[in-house]
Amino acid sequence: MRKEGLDLRGVFPALVTPFDRKTEEVDEEVFRRLIGHVLPHVDGVVTSGTTGEFPYLTRAEQRRLVEIARQEVGDKLVIAGCGGSGTAQALALAQDAAEVGADAVLVVTPYFLHPSDKGVYQHFYDIATNVDIPLILYNIPQVVDRFLPRTVVEDLADLPSVVGLKDSSGDLTYTMELLEYVSDRIDLLIGHDEVVVPALAGGVGGMILASAQVYPEVWQEVLRQVAAGQIEKARALQRKVQKLSRIFCRHGGGVAVKAALNMMGLAVGPPRRPLKGVGGALLHETRAEIQLELERLGKIEVEEESFSYPNGPLAERFGDLELTPEDVRAHSLRVGSGTAGEELNRVQLDLIAGRKESPLGDAYALQLTYPLHGREALTAILEPGLTVRPSTLLLPTLPQKNLRQANMIYGPTQSALGRAIVDALEEGTVPTQAAEDEVMVVLATVHPKALDRHALYHSVYDAARAALAQAFAAR
Amino acid sequence: MGHKTDWFRGIFPALVTPFTAQDKLDEDAYRQLIRHVLPHVNGVVPCGTTGEFSYQTLEERQQTIAICLDEVAGRVPVLAGTGAPSTRETLMLTEWARDAGAAGALVVAPYYLKPSFNEVYDHYRALDGLGFPIVLYNIPQCAGTHFRWWTAEGMALDFDNVIGIKDSSGDLPFLEAMFEKLKGRVGIFVGHDEVVQAAMAAGADGAILASANLIPDIWQQVYQATLQGDLATAQEWQQKVQKLVRIVVRCSSTQAVKEGLRMMGLPIGDSRHPVMPGGGFRREDYEELRMQLEALGKIPLADVVIDLGDRQIRTQVAATPQTPRTVSGWILRVGEGFAGPPFQELAHVDLLVGRRDGPVGRAIERSVAHWGEERGLRLINDRPLTLLVPTVTIRTAKQRRLFYEHAAAGVNLGIDGSIKSGFLPEAALDDLALIVNAFVHPAASIAKRVEFNNYKATTQAVRKAIEDRPTVGELFNEKAAARHPFRYAP
Repeated sequence: MRKEGLDLRGVFPALVTPFDRKTEEVDEEVFRRLIGHVLPHVDGVVTSGTTGEFPYLTRAEQRRLVEIARQEVGDKLVIAGCGGSGTAQALALAQDAAEVGADAVLVVTPYFLHPSDKGVYQHFYDIATNVDIPLILYNIPQVVDRFLPRTVVEDLADLPSVVGLKDSSGDLTYTMELLEYVSDRIDLLIGHDEVVVPALAGGVGGMILASAQVYPEVWQEVLRQVAAGQIEKARALQRKVQKLSRIFCRHGGGVAVKAALNMMGLAVGPPRRPLKGVGGALLHETRAEIQLELERLGKIEVEEESFSYPNGPLAERFGDLELTPEDVRAHSLRVGSGTAGEELNRVQLDLIAGRKESPLGDAYALQLTYPLHGREALTAILEPGLTVRPSTLLLPTLPQKNLRQANMIYGPTQSALGRAIVDALEEGTVPTQAAEDEVMVVLATVHPKALDRHALYHSVYDAARAALAQAFAAR
Repeated sequence: MGHKTDWFRGIFPALVTPFTAQDKLDEDAYRQLIRHVLPHVNGVVPCGTTGEFSYQTLEERQQTIAICLDEVAGRVPVLAGTGAPSTRETLMLTEWARDAGAAGALVVAPYYLKPSFNEVYDHYRALDGLGFPIVLYNIPQCAGTHFRWWTAEGMALDFDNVIGIKDSSGDLPFLEAMFEKLKGRVGIFVGHDEVVQAAMAAGADGAILASANLIPDIWQQVYQATLQGDLATAQEWQQKVQKLVRIVVRCSSTQAVKEGLRMMGLPIGDSRHPVMPGGGFRREDYEELRMQLEALGKIPLADVVIDLGDRQIRTQVAATPQTPRTVSGWILRVGEGFAGPPFQELAHVDLLVGRRDGPVGRAIERSVAHWGEERGLRLINDRPLTLLVPTVTIRTAKQRRLFYEHAAAGVNLGIDGSIKSGFLPEAALDDLALIVNAFVHPAASIAKRVEFNNYKATTQAVRKAIEDRPTVGELFNEKAAARHPFRYAP
């Protein structure tokens, strides 16, 4: 029998702690706004959890966060993160939380020094028996460097005030083992955003998630669909947010969540040092990916882009390289064009090839000094270290306005072009002698809103093969 | 009680097994390799991990060991690698090696299915019954299980024919426990190239090493210096080869050693698949290994003609089989260089080199006159005329400092080094121009790493431009398996 009282079957975001950009002080005003933003979709909130950067907060700050949450959430639950490396610290935090009105405390496995199983049990036992507040155990081996042993949980579940366990490991074998041993006595909460549906389907009742402050409504709907036995619908929802959930879990944690919230207009600021807002655990490249995903989920506006694919006679399309149709004729330059893909994945490549001593050789060298601002040329490669032959530059026809667009060129477009060239060379479409004597420049028009790298790769490959076939046949 | 044998000491190379282009055992190359190492070693190991024993059939292993025995002809002991996952196959091959005349067998911990320690113990007990010297072999990186000290101790003391242990884990606390329990009773060998000197100073009786294919002479000096109590000399050598052996140990050792031997002029083919060129031994590792071997004087010098069209310049470089003896076509040559780690400090260089009166020189002239200032282009050298171009727009003061001070310094070091090593011969410098596009990640922090990585990337890019690498053949071989790191969604 589960214990009377608290119902942990619901959606609980593990809130970030907003900081001022300059002073690193807690920004209470934004914290209130953040709670207001999630409240319609959640069953309660979690303050100063791992996502809330609890090891960087003072005791007073943690107490204040609970106080504010209590004022803002009405009769929904306030779960106070009360993690500490030592028992005395965790106890003090739990006492504070109880005093200012938290409904439960969330206590992480003691970390840094590595206590024995006995020590771990005693840690939770001391809190559970000294503070009059429901206690949720918290397993997160990614940062604690150990699992909360199942046998210890089994014994802790006998304590009257231990009401739940949050499992952030993402290891479903562990979750299933806990369901087997303790789900008759305590509530289990999934704390790993990537495996919510499997965990719920397995029997877990609630969730404490970082991403539940970015898309709480998705998780609330998942909960409803699972309860209604609509697993297919729940799966579809999980899949919709899978990539972003993965980024939050594995590529930056709370820092990535803060980046997302900042993009959405909730100015939660940077993390506290030594974490960096971007350029540390959260790479610039990943931040660009978060933006792309938020656009796809409709969480941020996508700017309308007006652009067109180049048309008109092929020989006239190389003005960017200062090459006229007259140059093309006079120097026997090879030109070809290819188009492939549909809608966002439609790609047009206009290719020009010729001898190194022709004006194309000059254009090639000049493009590597970046005469066209915002349209920097890239070398065609299979992967770093494998530049293709003939040496080829990839020149985007549209200015690259943001990293998102650059990411589509660098990587999928670059390597697909490289592969097409090497295939054409091996199959004889491009003569071997050209590998030594010639260079190529490929003007690439990629839809500014393209976001499917796999589809884009294939569009670019097909377009490039068509362009190469035309250029190297027409002599 | 003393050692059970007296021959198990010193330097034993774990010989690579050469294969032909048709993937057959290359007997001639193997004999050549053995002749190359033999003057410097105390024994040899055919069919060890570096010998790709796990990719060989039983018959091939027998053939390999037989050739080795024949070529060595009793001059040094042959310790044959005879390990297999099953006791049955291990017994079969070990018995064969005994009858063929090997001095002993190096038997790896049974791998893949993970037997418990008492099963491992019984595996070696069965081998003990052959009445033939056995060396225990701990290599958890590959076998997936680490000997515990009590297992190793038990096997070494309980079995008369266990005469030694080779520990490739690099785990010095484990090795110290072995000295504590077994020193003087069995031979204790280190098998991790990065800690050889430390292990020998602490009491190791010898070393079985992948890198001893490449530098057997240096390891012999480390061994001799340690025997004579000259730790300073032994340390100096270890430090000199540290980078080289780190590459060998951590970057697909079989392929690394084979490519290194090829650079040194020995005709050794590639590893068997799935190990492949440009795989675990990455292209940047190739370049680094080459620079290290070159610094040790292991790559033979050759005369190369730089044909500028209107005149020819002779130069001398440390040449690999891929280095052309005449380099013509100086209108436009393209080279790429890539060096890390770490990720945020990695350097990527796109380099053009060509005649100053050709496309490269003209592009420099125009860009400097018209948009150089605005786009952050810098002339960093007169001879050869060199334009440095930032691949990523410089936005912050930190980026500016890292790029114009540290990346630029690295690029210049790379060019200076290329002049000194003869790839950019002094007599050609007035005629040549370079455009160097260098990448510094916006999140880069460690200034010295940015400099070193740009030095390496520039050195590579110059060599690749001059040697026309990657070759068309390399592109064909690797196109299917190539994996662009930014082609995929995170």
